Amino acid sequence: MVQFHEHIITELLEDPSGGLVVLSSGLGLHKLISSLLLLHHPSQGTLLLLSSSPSLKSSILSSLRQNQNPNTTGIPNLPSEITFDLPAYHRLSLYSSGAALFVTPRILIVDLLTSRLSPSSVAGIILLNAHSLSDTSTETLIVRILRSSSSSLYIRAFSDKPHAMVAGFAKPERILKCLYLRKLHLWPRFQVYVSQDLERNPPEVVDVRVPMSPCMRGIQKAVIEVMDACLKEMRMTNKVDVDDLTVENGLFKSFDEIVRRQLDPIWHTLGKKTKQLVSDLKTLRKLLDYLVRYDAVTYLKYLDSLRAAENFRSVWIFAESSYKIFEYAKKRVYHFGRLDGSKLIGKSKIVTTKKRRLDDRTVEKEDSLPTSSNSGVVLEEVLEEPPKWKVLREILEEIEEEREKRHLSMVEPVIEGEEDDNGIVLVACKDEFSCMQLEDCIIKGPHKAMREEWEKYLLSKIELHGLPKHNKKKAKDPKGFGILDGVIPKTPGQNAEASSISKQENDALLAAAAEVSKHNKKDTPVKDHPQPYIGNGGHAKGRGKGRKGKTSGSVPLSANKDDKSANEAAMNDKTEMVASENGGPRYETDPVVGDSDKVILQKHYHGVNAASSSNAKQLPPVHFYALESDQHILDILKPSSVIVYHPDIVFVREIEIYKAENPTKRLKVYFLFYEDSTEVQKFEASIRRENGAFESLIRQKSLMMIPVDQDGRCVGQSSSTDSEPIISRNSVTRKAGGRKEDDKEMQVIVDMREFMSSLPNVLHQRGIRIIPVTLEVGDYILSPLICVERKSIQDLFGSFASGRLYNQVETMVRYYRIPVLLIEFSQDKSFSFQSASDIGDDVSLNSIISKLSLLVLHFPRLRIVWSRSLFATAEVFASLKANQDEPDEAKAMRVGVPSEEGIVENDARAENYNTSAVEFLRRLPGVSDSNYRAIMDGCESLAELALLPLEKLAELMGSQKAAKTLREFLDAKYPTLL
Amino acid sequence: MVLVVKLELLFIELGVVFAWLWLKGNPLLKHIRNVRWAFADVVCDYMLGQSTCALYLSLRYHLLHPDYLYYRIRELPKSFKLRVVLCHVDVEDVVKPLLEVTKTALLHDCTLLCAWSLEECGRYLETIKVYENKPADIIQGQMDTDYLSRLNHALTTIRHVNKTDVVTLGSTFGTLSHIMDASMEDLARCPGIGERKVKRLYETFHEPFKRVV
Repeated sequence: MVQFHEHIITELLEDPSGGLVVLSSGLGLHKLISSLLLLHHPSQGTLLLLSSSPSLKSSILSSLRQNQNPNTTGIPNLPSEITFDLPAYHRLSLYSSGAALFVTPRILIVDLLTSRLSPSSVAGIILLNAHSLSDTSTETLIVRILRSSSSSLYIRAFSDKPHAMVAGFAKPERILKCLYLRKLHLWPRFQVYVSQDLERNPPEVVDVRVPMSPCMRGIQKAVIEVMDACLKEMRMTNKVDVDDLTVENGLFKSFDEIVRRQLDPIWHTLGKKTKQLVSDLKTLRKLLDYLVRYDAVTYLKYLDSLRAAENFRSVWIFAESSYKIFEYAKKRVYHFGRLDGSKLIGKSKIVTTKKRRLDDRTVEKEDSLPTSSNSGVVLEEVLEEPPKWKVLREILEEIEEEREKRHLSMVEPVIEGEEDDNGIVLVACKDEFSCMQLEDCIIKGPHKAMREEWEKYLLSKIELHGLPKHNKKKAKDPKGFGILDGVIPKTPGQNAEASSISKQENDALLAAAAEVSKHNKKDTPVKDHPQPYIGNGGHAKGRGKGRKGKTSGSVPLSANKDDKSANEAAMNDKTEMVASENGGPRYETDPVVGDSDKVILQKHYHGVNAASSSNAKQLPPVHFYALESDQHILDILKPSSVIVYHPDIVFVREIEIYKAENPTKRLKVYFLFYEDSTEVQKFEASIRRENGAFESLIRQKSLMMIPVDQDGRCVGQSSSTDSEPIISRNSVTRKAGGRKEDDKEMQVIVDMREFMSSLPNVLHQRGIRIIPVTLEVGDYILSPLICVERKSIQDLFGSFASGRLYNQVETMVRYYRIPVLLIEFSQDKSFSFQSASDIGDDVSLNSIISKLSLLVLHFPRLRIVWSRSLFATAEVFASLKANQDEPDEAKAMRVGVPSEEGIVENDARAENYNTSAVEFLRRLPGVSDSNYRAIMDGCESLAELALLPLEKLAELMGSQKAAKTLREFLDAKYPTLL
Repeated sequence: MVLVVKLELLFIELGVVFAWLWLKGNPLLKHIRNVRWAFADVVCDYMLGQSTCALYLSLRYHLLHPDYLYYRIRELPKSFKLRVVLCHVDVEDVVKPLLEVTKTALLHDCTLLCAWSLEECGRYLETIKVYENKPADIIQGQMDTDYLSRLNHALTTIRHVNKTDVVTLGSTFGTLSHIMDASMEDLARCPGIGERKVKRLYETFHEPFKRVV
């Protein structure tokens, strides 16, 4: 807890009805929540934690556990989690226990509506991820129900995604309204308390700007050029608001959302071209991101697979600049040229020893494989290392030196206990992949790590052998357009030349690959030497992922390298357990972490000292941490230096909090940026964006209009009484001045599974009572006669394809007088299936029109309701119910569920037919809609059918072929498992 | 087979303005290209088959004459099994008129189909005509055609029978015809097939298709 956390909590507790807190991301939301949980006492009633993400959940739990240790007398039971597998009575006892509970909205709403949970036993709700709320979400319904019956309840909503809070019109205001809250608390990073607290003892920061290699810069420039071209092209479509379309915005994921939000309503009218542009921009953003994240070989590999996968559709590949992307990416990895001297020498700087080795290697290659490189071409490995690797190593060495110095001089051991300064270095990078790679690079040295990647690349080339050839052909015909239609600067003759070169190049690559794999085989016996193993289980697991699909010899041991730790990874794959044990002496497990289960995956702990026997310098113990894993590792590891390999704003905040909590601890932070890269831009833009979001929130807060009676005292009731007259007002005004009829509450029976959607909420808003049960047939039962199957648009397409819809309609038709298919469009998308131009000239099997027509033809009794939106659906339901009886819950539940005698109630057919036998018969091959009746006439039962000879069957079915199919199926030998 | 179009629609085709409401209905005929059609004196707008008919309604027209649909539906004889109201959505604010149309159609045994353009309307009429006698295979879901999935598909129609049971049955009896002919005891001897399943299986196979009432 930092001081401003206390401020937040006291401010929040001031209002007994609760409030909405918006926090800068990374400011320790989990700590806030866990201290709120500590304040909770069972006597107050149950505390519900709603819609928490799994990672937030686990970090709340872990920070609770930490708080627990110092004063065990406090005994805050850890909040348990309510899941669907929990039996009802168990849930009941948990609800009444007054404990804090994690629960998903879907479970909670069902339990509330079935009054398994009485609203009076709830003390309050802590709502996480408040930014994802809308007035139709289930959370809102829960809050409305709870508010309407108990006013003493508090609701504390949290969000640490300010930029999501400003998306859409007056979002915070609407969220406050639907939660019946009045207070909005904003805690940006620049808030006075926060910045005071965090800047009192700022950590020592070293900002390292690493220059990118020329090729990287080339790629970055090219990608941005292509991106710019795509954006320009997009602007020309005149479909999107131009202001938001900047390259800077394009760097963020949320850019897609901006574009999608604008395009969704007209998505069906867009041409293929525009749609492709949207997805291309996404790809390009990834390319930029990976450029700084991956090493040269992996990047090339990614590009290769991208090219293989995207060939036909994407447009960006045909832009002029994208040619450069591929060129540079290749140049970073290998150089291909002819032996006759035409080869370029101007490679990027490689260390001299490296060069020598390279030469050895090429010579060796020519010796061993004269056949494949006979045309005088040579493949030269460049294997450019990511510049950050070297810097990382230098920093590590520097840290170690400093530590040594401090140890020797013992200047300041008094202030900080020696055990406090454990000298752990934490390296934070984006993903698990980089973690593993960096680790490899530190242990084995960068050259070797690169080499391994390269060899893996070559091996995968072998696997893909054959594939690239036909890809190449396709890539030749230019498909781009507009700006993107790059000029291919080649005459046909040159073109042929180029393709022959690329062919040779391919051959050379394959040859190299073959050599590598041969090498592997040769080296396999060497593997039997007792090798030191690294890592623990988690590490090995991650590794295994990286090398999936390779043979066990995937890590070659080059003859000229005497370094020992080459091929243990392969062994690791097989023997994870053994590895972690054997690693004992050298790679002891982290004492802090050993007993807690939650962080194992992120541990890459090893004493580099031992592994770096070939390196002269000593390195401190290093942990690698993947930011993606969303764990709060700082509190557990307590590192004394942090190297931020991939800058990320959330992690920076975490470091600040950590430092503020441990003001006495020495902490040095290194930031590694590529100079002038999009990485820097992105980092800075993310800060700007968050600040912008907060500024807008502050402005909105000052203008917000919140009704005074937000207490919810009368709101729940009033909303239902408000809406009811609207239905009846028109019809009733003539009768006795609009006197109210008997106050009859409308009821709708809703299937449990439907609570995934927002419709139950909207129905409730309309004042319709919702009864959740598990329905065998239909989704909503409006009356004893009307049964509704709801399909959203995607659902509709999906369940047509799977045949589910057909079956659902079939059962509905069987049991209800008025079976209804509700086709529900989404409010913010267009109200139509397709644009007129997509209809085509002929009746085609795949069009939705054909499918609907078929459905209608086969079920003439099926009624279809087309609804523009959720709200329109509620309207339709209410008006359909107007003159109907209320549905019977018990009956609805029984429908379609056969009784023990096997006869289904209300089933008209069942009285005359053995329905399951008929169903079975119709699914046999050869049996069709046209002949199954004849079969039923011709033989008594299925058992009899099984014995009928072929001739008799043919007679019954009216076709020799169909009869044969059926007979063969009946007599086919069941394939045994062995 | 010919799609039959109401005779009165002919007048527009000849250039005679019969009533302006047909003006809306007529251009539709241009979009019926995949089936032949002819004029005749029928009650509905389009007769798609012996038991299938369709009424065309433009939402804009409905806004002007809210009663029109009701009177037209009332005229329709009960002999039509499938009565389609083909609603052309040609207004911006659809919620209210569509609600009215939905309710009228639903309460008077008509199936509502919505289309957003005349092309689409025409396509619906064509499709319903063309598919008149088509089996529902394509909307019943693509099934894998290999033996095991077909066997699964058939046997799992029987309630309580799951895929594991199918394996058990298959490996015990060898062929489907043996399963179908198995006695209660034999079925009961299979592991995992309890009393309830045995009963259901046996009933399915041995009870006659048609129950004697």
